[in-house]
Amino acid sequence: MTEATLPQPNFFQAKKGIASWIFTLDHKRIGLLYLFSIGTFFVVAAGLGVLMRLELLNPGRDLMDPQTYNQVFTLHGVIMIFLLIIPSIPAVFGNFALPLLLGTDDVAFPKLNLLSWWLYVIGAFFALGTLVYGEGSADTGWTFYAPYSVKTGTNVTPTVLAAFILGFSSILTGLNFIVTIHRLRTPGMGFNQMPLFVWSLYATAWIQLLATPIIGITLLMIVAERVFGIGLFDPSIGGDPILYQHLFWIYSHPAVYIMALPAMGIVSEIIPTFAQRTIFGYKAIAYSSMAIAFVGYFVWGHHMFTSGMSGPAGFIFSILTFFVAIPTAIKVFNWVATLYKGSINIQVPLLFVLAFIFNFMIGGFTGLVLGSLAADVHVHDTYFVVGHFHYVMFGGAVFAFFGALHYWFPKIWGKMYHKATANVAFVLLFVGFNVTYFPMLILGLQGMPRRYYDYLPEFHRLNMVSTFGSWIMVSGLIIMIVNLFVSWKNGAKAPDNPWNGITLEWQTSSPPPLHNFDKMPELPEGGPYNYPNAKSYQE
Amino acid sequence: MKHLAILALTFILIHFALPAFSEEVKPENQLGIYEKLDQYISDDLVFTDELYNQVNLKKSIDKPTILVLVYYECPGICSPLLNGLADAMDKSDIELGKDYQVYTISFSHTEKPPLARQKKKTYTKLVKHGDTQNAWKFFTGDSITIAQLFDDVGYKVKKEGKEYIHPGAIMVLSPEGKVTRYLYGSAYFLPFDIKMAVVEAAEGRSGPTINKVLNYCFSYDPEGQKYVFNVTKISGSLILLLAGSLLFTMVMKGRKRKNKISKA
Repeated sequence: MTEATLPQPNFFQAKKGIASWIFTLDHKRIGLLYLFSIGTFFVVAAGLGVLMRLELLNPGRDLMDPQTYNQVFTLHGVIMIFLLIIPSIPAVFGNFALPLLLGTDDVAFPKLNLLSWWLYVIGAFFALGTLVYGEGSADTGWTFYAPYSVKTGTNVTPTVLAAFILGFSSILTGLNFIVTIHRLRTPGMGFNQMPLFVWSLYATAWIQLLATPIIGITLLMIVAERVFGIGLFDPSIGGDPILYQHLFWIYSHPAVYIMALPAMGIVSEIIPTFAQRTIFGYKAIAYSSMAIAFVGYFVWGHHMFTSGMSGPAGFIFSILTFFVAIPTAIKVFNWVATLYKGSINIQVPLLFVLAFIFNFMIGGFTGLVLGSLAADVHVHDTYFVVGHFHYVMFGGAVFAFFGALHYWFPKIWGKMYHKATANVAFVLLFVGFNVTYFPMLILGLQGMPRRYYDYLPEFHRLNMVSTFGSWIMVSGLIIMIVNLFVSWKNGAKAPDNPWNGITLEWQTSSPPPLHNFDKMPELPEGGPYNYPNAKSYQE
Repeated sequence: MKHLAILALTFILIHFALPAFSEEVKPENQLGIYEKLDQYISDDLVFTDELYNQVNLKKSIDKPTILVLVYYECPGICSPLLNGLADAMDKSDIELGKDYQVYTISFSHTEKPPLARQKKKTYTKLVKHGDTQNAWKFFTGDSITIAQLFDDVGYKVKKEGKEYIHPGAIMVLSPEGKVTRYLYGSAYFLPFDIKMAVVEAAEGRSGPTINKVLNYCFSYDPEGQKYVFNVTKISGSLILLLAGSLLFTMVMKGRKRKNKISKA
């Protein structure tokens, strides 16, 4: 047993007490701090989502009045986007796994890492505060256009400030990861020997670093307009309101890739482990992450097709949007090719990842419909957009998050979850998810506008199906959370390497010691996913 | 302990700082829409239709009415707005004249019925079904009546030279003349948005605005406002420069040589 030979206590045992957690400099603990804060927000926002679906079970008013409904969907969107999906995978699993995957003892700047978490907490406080203080910002949807357009430059200030603080947390995490990846790789690990999750974190970190300052500049411009009366966005003093939308989306579109890229990294990590096979097209996957990050900067205009854009500009943004599909498709083909003729071991993490591919494909294809100028004008602001968005974000990013949670659960806690229960939770989640969101795509094509608490009777049946799906999904979610919680407390002890993985985190004990490795991890020969070699080191 | 004290102080500061950020800007200086949901339009609004008939707005409203405030010589979003509305009306399965009517009112008091007639001809052609002749009216009026109507529905525009800066939106009134819905947009309306709004108005139910992405019709002078682009250009270059130098340093310095993990 490894335990007997362990000279160090694991990172849970190293220190005790609440202060040892909230002021910790250990990347693993910071990752878990993010996990618990994000998890709490997720439960709240998911609850709000269920309430919305319940209201939409029947046409007319059932549960809440229209104003409350508007506030509920705004809160749902703001929490899910800014407090959950943007930080989720990089902040939780990036923090926990990156140094382990690189074979090092921590990130490059541990104090900065702690500061990032604190900024996240303060930013969350601000973001939720803007919904409570003042008036008018609680019912605007997550893009916050309204306070700007209705009362130019008023309530948007604290909101942009919140996005800025949260963004700063994101910038610092990005900076930390970039430096860590460049400087702290274990000896012998070149860029092309890094695990693909690290590559995706690297691409994401550059987006975080380059895109987030734009929201900061926007904030400064708003302040300049309000304080000095310089006409920047307000048309009554010679400004251009469209500029605000441009700046908002120049940040917020790349932010979509902050959400999607790490999820793709998780997929690239889990598939070779459970296929016990070298990943197909390592470089293609690695470089396509960078390509997505790069092209992602130039497509923001597709959010503004209907808000006054010239024909040629619309055409160019539309074409550029289609370009994003190419590196994405490269990844999907490579994942599928990796599974081909692999020794597939079907476990919960793999199931979540396969669900990711299925859902993400639907999300991607419906995205192409929205990206094409001619089709978009017919379905914009309908439930089609809601369906698409949830397929990409929930079916994609969040499913990958769940996959990662089940993949690294034994590593984090040294316990194994109850697999049969986890399978049941997965099936309910997957079925519930599709039953909830697929009808939305059809409703959208039929013209049902989004954001209403009410709808016309012809949409009733599909709305009922969708609400029914949300119940299935929630039961899956509850079973999953309870299962993980119970397993954390009372689960069977997990071996150090339950999945026969060969990336470096599986070479240390579970949970890892404070400094991650008791002895220098050994790089697998022939690349990070060269499985036949791996078996020899396993024994 | 020290950490916790700093933390508590930060949160207290934020608590007091937030309301300050949320303070209101006085609305009278601002153009835009100040929603007056559930309020009735005045009884004495008399406008002239395209055939020189004097029409009392409130008395003539006997069914859900879509109110469109534009000016006919607008070089900006008014035409796309009317086109978009006509397109949505055409696609919708509710019947113009039977289920609802449309009042287009010019807020430029210098515009007269012949111009209104001309506009009516252009736009009614786009709607293939319904009684476009009697149920889509194009009004003009004097400045006092226009100002009164603006007050009633919370609409603010600003004159600049010969043109107006104004918001792009349509309003829906119930058969009693009550404002029940604002639909924001400048060129694209969903047929179902229109239908929902009309159905609600028929029942006298109002709904808070869903999609508050308000568009403005405005002229922008890129030559006179160069500093805006300078701000974005300079800050953009700065960010790229910083990121570039970070990458350069990282690549040049390479991997950290010292590794703390002992080779046990």
